[in-house]
Amino acid sequence: MAKVTEITVWTRGVVMDKEARDIANGFGKGAKMEGKFIQAFDNYEDLPDRVLVTTRKYVRISDEEIEMKYVYTNDHPDVVVVVEPTIVKGINVLRGMPEGGLLIINTNRPIDYMLQFIPNRDRLGAVATVDADSISGIRTVDFSGSEGGVDASGLGAGISAPILGAMSKVTGMVEKDSLAKVVSDVAAMERGYNEVTIQKFRKPRASYFWGG
Amino acid sequence: MSTIKVPKDREVPFGAVTPAPVTSQELFITSNWRIVRPVLDREKCALCFQCVMSCPDSCWSFNEEKEEVEWNWRYCKGCQICINECAAEALSAVPELDFPDGVVRLEKPF
Repeated sequence: MAKVTEITVWTRGVVMDKEARDIANGFGKGAKMEGKFIQAFDNYEDLPDRVLVTTRKYVRISDEEIEMKYVYTNDHPDVVVVVEPTIVKGINVLRGMPEGGLLIINTNRPIDYMLQFIPNRDRLGAVATVDADSISGIRTVDFSGSEGGVDASGLGAGISAPILGAMSKVTGMVEKDSLAKVVSDVAAMERGYNEVTIQKFRKPRASYFWGG
Repeated sequence: MSTIKVPKDREVPFGAVTPAPVTSQELFITSNWRIVRPVLDREKCALCFQCVMSCPDSCWSFNEEKEEVEWNWRYCKGCQICINECAAEALSAVPELDFPDGVVRLEKPF
């Protein structure tokens, strides 16, 4: 079985729920257009319908068919995306991450400032930050219709578009051109691709190659 | 009327759930829900107790010894109702990331 890359997206319930769902679904869709096998799903155990509660969304990407079924959480995430930066203070977001994983934070603060809130930062292979709030200017995009059952606002309208662009550049798993066919706000996605900042750490035993 | 004699080792607290009354539950700490925190300017505070009455989680309380209102950082969710209700405009919203501590770090969301 080929390597399955697990991506976990951390977000806040209700106010930034759709953004994180768009990141999970959009990144999965982009990978699927390039012929990869994916699984993308919303949280299963977090009770997301409470304002500001911390919740998760998950993506799995592999070159072969993913045989992992019936498990609805990523226990060993290779990539962790934090949609709201305050989450790193209250949650151990790197739980279960293998040595040399990647952390992407949506913040305008310096990387060194954010790292002081992460006590187990030694296992990180790279940290990337993107200021999606100022790029897109729209922080919250509500579900239109009945709680996302009928969603006419489109995938990737708010802060999810710049974060998707940053993920494309740093992980290198999905091409920017594939994401441009998926997201509705292509200009913000391109700006996120160009404006992401990354800091890498030397990890001799890790098998990851984070670009950017 | 006679009462049932319960052996000392079989006794359970009333309600069988929690030692009541308590002002806070250790099982339900919600400080990591917060994006901004209310910061009180004690010189402006007029002790009108609007924050005490309006807080949905009873995070503001009056300390009678110090004669000032106190903020419970463990349970405040950062809803900013107290900031809107404060008549003296003594409360302001400050991003939680400006402070090095003040949040209970959890392994998982509950």
